[in-house]
Amino acid sequence: MGLDVGKFMKNPEYEIKIITYRDIFQVEALERDRFGKDYEKLSAFIGMSKNDMAKMGLKSGDRVKVANNNGSIVVEVRESRRDEPGGVAFMVNSPWSNVLVSDDMGGKGIPEFKNITAKISLVKEEITSLESLMEYFRKLKQV
Amino acid sequence: MATCPGCALLCDDIDVIVENNRIKETRNACRRGAARMKGCFNRLAPSIAQKPVDIESAIRKAAEILKVAKSPMLFGFSNSTCEAQVKGIQLAKKLGAIIDDTSSFCQGLLIETIFQEKFRTCMLEDVRNKADVLVYWGSDAQDSEPRHLSRFSYFPRGESRQRGYEEDRIAVAIDVRESNTAKICKGHFYRIQPKGDREFILALTDALSGKVPAYEPKKILELAAILKKAEFGVIFAGIGLTYSIKEDMEILVALADKLSNFHIMPMVGHYNMRGFNENLFKETGFVNRVKFEGKAVQHSPAEVLDTPSRGVTLVHDDKYSIVEALRNESIDALLVAGSDPLSSLPRSLVRHLASIPVICIDPCVTMTSKITAVTIPCAVSGVESGGTAVRMDGKKIELSKIIESDYPTDEELLTRLMEAL
Ligand code: SF4
Repeated sequence: MGLDVGKFMKNPEYEIKIITYRDIFQVEALERDRFGKDYEKLSAFIGMSKNDMAKMGLKSGDRVKVANNNGSIVVEVRESRRDEPGGVAFMVNSPWSNVLVSDDMGGKGIPEFKNITAKISLVKEEITSLESLMEYFRKLKQV
Repeated sequence: MATCPGCALLCDDIDVIVENNRIKETRNACRRGAARMKGCFNRLAPSIAQKPVDIESAIRKAAEILKVAKSPMLFGFSNSTCEAQVKGIQLAKKLGAIIDDTSSFCQGLLIETIFQEKFRTCMLEDVRNKADVLVYWGSDAQDSEPRHLSRFSYFPRGESRQRGYEEDRIAVAIDVRESNTAKICKGHFYRIQPKGDREFILALTDALSGKVPAYEPKKILELAAILKKAEFGVIFAGIGLTYSIKEDMEILVALADKLSNFHIMPMVGHYNMRGFNENLFKETGFVNRVKFEGKAVQHSPAEVLDTPSRGVTLVHDDKYSIVEALRNESIDALLVAGSDPLSSLPRSLVRHLASIPVICIDPCVTMTSKITAVTIPCAVSGVESGGTAVRMDGKKIELSKIIESDYPTDEELLTRLMEAL
């Protein structure tokens, strides 16, 4: 019988597929103040089905690191209000989800905004703020 | 009555209550529209290297940057009036620059196919009056163009649809998630796998041709039966669909060919993205991704077309999309009008923005404006200035000037920029 390595690791990582979508309340917050708390609250989270969350030992309100080769963010996990079949997680299209989008689009000019693969794991770190996303660019500018 | 510049539905039935030259209240507008019309919290101020200056100095500096650039690019324009877009195209011509807009990574391919008349399309008024089968495909109108269902498609009474959604209309949603629009399409929600649109289109085309579809035959045959019965059907194609099939637009054309009573309409978020596509198409025969070189115009993908009447050569190439230009680091200056690439593009791509001078024209502070070499504030079009815009179905709509403002319009700024050159 194979060893379940995940059991012995503190915070196991799981591979997930992420679909992005639009949300009217987030769009409204963006129009008002894209640097405001509302916009951050309505953007910096990942929605998952109840089943997937149970499988990964996550509960609503937990903070998770979502990372792939393109970047890494910390967001809140929330149980999807819909009865989702699972297997796919959801993020509102935002500067947070865009951290995870690949720049490889086969020369055709359309990134895979709605088709992201990443690893998710429970963390204690603070949620990535818009200010820290800005900091990333400011640092690039100084190099 | 005012027109809302919140999305490409351009609702022209908005009542506004103005107090002390501020919009205090809007009536009829959705949340998105009301927020756009009431204005943003952080207005942009003119600056050079993030230090405050007057507008005139900012324009002069922008002209300087563009003048010395070897490969400048102009980008954005989906939140600009048609008049400003035409000025932007003139500016690109004058500079021998690349010009592209947000449709380049949004609905451009679909809109181009519509301009090439490969699809039947229709007006939103036709939808309201005649449509009986409405297919929202990869489109969550409820969240992106929030009054689409209530003003035009599912809920209203129409000339031949007196009983609206209760009896006369069927709404179908095809999507990877049960969106708010899908919730309304009770019983007619078809969930597809991520990137599953292609498979779904092929299966549906098979079913409509009398073959047994290879994929989920029961559901597909049931949907085919609904579509076949339509007297006036419309497929509202959202970015979910466009992102998924990308340049494979021909399979959608083939499906539309099987549906003789159907029309295809692009769902457009930005209020005048279609306007930009129309204006550039009129000028060059392409909807985006164009490079002007002397008298020649280059476009993507590599394809040479002679248009002797205008004395220009058109060359097609995807490298003139904003995304490829940034990825290949092939531009050395960028003017952004009414868009926030730092926020809306993959972060892996926008690194190049940090290493070139960027000029930002916008009414509001954006992520991009916070790192740019020059910022130039403009009036909010459709609120502080008028003009024209093109609705998602192609209808020209007048924008209203509702309140007074000292900010110049983007059209004015682009004109002044051209003069400064
Ligand atoms: S649906 Fe679009 S145009 Fe109409 S009120 Fe809402 S944002 Fe404005």
